[in-house]
Amino acid sequence: MKNGLILFLGVFAILAASWAGLLAAHRQIGSLAQFKDPIEETLNPQPLSGVANQGRLVYQDLGCVTCHSQQVRHEETGPDIKRGWGERGSYARDYIRDQTAFIGSSRLGPDLRNVGKRQPDAEYLYKLLYAPESTVAGEALAHGMPAYRFLFELRPLAGNQSSYKAVKLPASAGVAAGFEVVPTARAEALVAYLRNLQDNYDYPTERSLNAPAEHPKGEH
Amino acid sequence: MNSNAHNARTEQAEIDASAKWPVLVFLGSALLWLLLGGALQLAAAIQLHTPAFLSDCAWFTHGRLAPAAQNALVYGWGMNAAFAFGLWLMARLSATTLRHGGWLFVAAKFWNLGVTLGIGGILAGYSTSFELLEMPRFVTILLLVAYAIIGVWVVTTFSIRNTENVYASQWYLFGAAFWFPWLYTIAQVMLFHAPVRGVLQPVINVWYVHGLYGLWFAPIALAAIYYFLPKLLGKPISNYYLAPLAFWWLVASTAFAGGSRLIDAPVPVWIPTLGIVASMMLVLPLVILGLNFLGTLAGRYGSVGGSLTLRFIVLSIVGFFLSALLGLTLSLRSFAAIAQFTLLTGLRDWLLFYGCFSTAMFGAAYFFLPRLTGKEWRSTALVQAHFGATVLGIVLMTVGLAAAGWQQGHLLNDPAVKFAEITRALTGWHTFNSVVLGLLLVGHVAFLINFVWIACPFNSQGTPVAQINPPPALSLATKEGHA
Repeated sequence: MKNGLILFLGVFAILAASWAGLLAAHRQIGSLAQFKDPIEETLNPQPLSGVANQGRLVYQDLGCVTCHSQQVRHEETGPDIKRGWGERGSYARDYIRDQTAFIGSSRLGPDLRNVGKRQPDAEYLYKLLYAPESTVAGEALAHGMPAYRFLFELRPLAGNQSSYKAVKLPASAGVAAGFEVVPTARAEALVAYLRNLQDNYDYPTERSLNAPAEHPKGEH
Repeated sequence: MNSNAHNARTEQAEIDASAKWPVLVFLGSALLWLLLGGALQLAAAIQLHTPAFLSDCAWFTHGRLAPAAQNALVYGWGMNAAFAFGLWLMARLSATTLRHGGWLFVAAKFWNLGVTLGIGGILAGYSTSFELLEMPRFVTILLLVAYAIIGVWVVTTFSIRNTENVYASQWYLFGAAFWFPWLYTIAQVMLFHAPVRGVLQPVINVWYVHGLYGLWFAPIALAAIYYFLPKLLGKPISNYYLAPLAFWWLVASTAFAGGSRLIDAPVPVWIPTLGIVASMMLVLPLVILGLNFLGTLAGRYGSVGGSLTLRFIVLSIVGFFLSALLGLTLSLRSFAAIAQFTLLTGLRDWLLFYGCFSTAMFGAAYFFLPRLTGKEWRSTALVQAHFGATVLGIVLMTVGLAAAGWQQGHLLNDPAVKFAEITRALTGWHTFNSVVLGLLLVGHVAFLINFVWIACPFNSQGTPVAQINPPPALSLATKEGHA
């Protein structure tokens, strides 16, 4: 191979062709719209609330995606549904409300796509973030998830009544007497986001598209 | 013939002299990042088995530390080393000096400033959470400006070449010089400036990640292998006539293979399917590369031990094939059903980046540093420590991550096993991997000390290179590559 021009054109054409593949994908699903339920007349998926959207930014900056995925594999391709990570597999349409789609590629931690459904209790999520080992799941998690104490404020009570926001922690969490643990705005946003993570609506269009092929009857 | 060889030698000395300072600056920065990135990586690995480690400081929470380490290694060590090696090799193979090297210092400044701000940004909480694109948006322009200078230098050095033929290493270097900025710019624009919606974002992300490893780091390592094997063994690449086919087929398949990282993800199914098909098409170029490399090595394995560079290059070949084979298996649906989301996917990238690319750069540095500086390596013990740590580290890491990932995949796929039990089962492996990362770090420190000794201009201990024994039969290598 001697010709520099051919080399250049080939090098150029290869990446251009591969980029064209991205454009094809964009053409196919780049403008998926919300689906309007014909009976209930609701639009799905619903957008995140304002505070949950702030929580998405906290999720992003803390790098939760390093260990947690947000995608449920369909029944026939993995045990995600049996693990209780969702009632159905994820569809592309589920993600159009997410300004950043954190589908993730590592499962050092459990999948969080439907964590809001599994764990709607904010108090529990605060405990999990402040002192993972103090929760039921946390006892076992003690080897895995780090604590996020910097998302909380440790305040001296100084004889006052404790804040209505204070997290009720068991003694094992190691908070000294006379102190209370109050979530910061960032922790509140993150928990709002986590509680918002749930795909409740099953799109009829997607369901039929993703249904496993039926085996022809009458053979054998 | 003799006077020819003599001319070639003076010419090489002239080229090396012109490349000396840009290469030293890039390689020096690369090594500092290698150490820093390695330390961050070790800290992040420790957190996996001791979650309380550094967890009270937001800057060092695992979700920030791990990507910061990865970015420091890829953009700090990997890119700087690739620049140093690529500029030097392109000048040598094009038989022309590296001109106006001063601009390359500017580029190095901008690049390293960009990476520093980027890593700081990730730790401070400005991460974008897209794999290998975590650095905050504002560093993009710094990196692109710096890269523009470097890329233009590589391409112009190629276009003013004084050689008749274009050697395989040059195809790979030339291609990589174009692919990186394109991949990076498109990923930046489509993710941040005019963001696409929903799951298209991960599609673009894997396209970039796969491209960065397969169309930037792998080609640069292959350029090193194609260059050093015939040069140091003193025989031409066997079945060289197949090399162009391997080049085109390899890069064309790799460009489409990124989708194989999205098996069973909520994306249109043709994307992973295309990725799987493209990955399977890699078999042919892998066979050709095997014929090229192993054919050249055949019968000369005895002489590998004699050259430090050659030892690293052989390691790089092993790393390349291991990573490629793992990539092929990971794109089989039945295997992916187990290995998806486990440590095995990380092992594939690590093998390519460390086992293949980094070892090739180490080998190249052991070759060109004495020639650029006119000095010898000061400490044989440190050289041996570096090589030993690298070999042992790669073997242990491969075994450790493969076994851990396999176990993790099986446990994840068994819904009866509670998640906490999986975490507990992996703790031992995480500890093992921390130890291995520590071992690799020791090797890197040894290399850095030797580098400082050889690169420091005030060091009078070095002896001028009076006797580089030319390999016995360089004739064809000279004809092909003119170097």
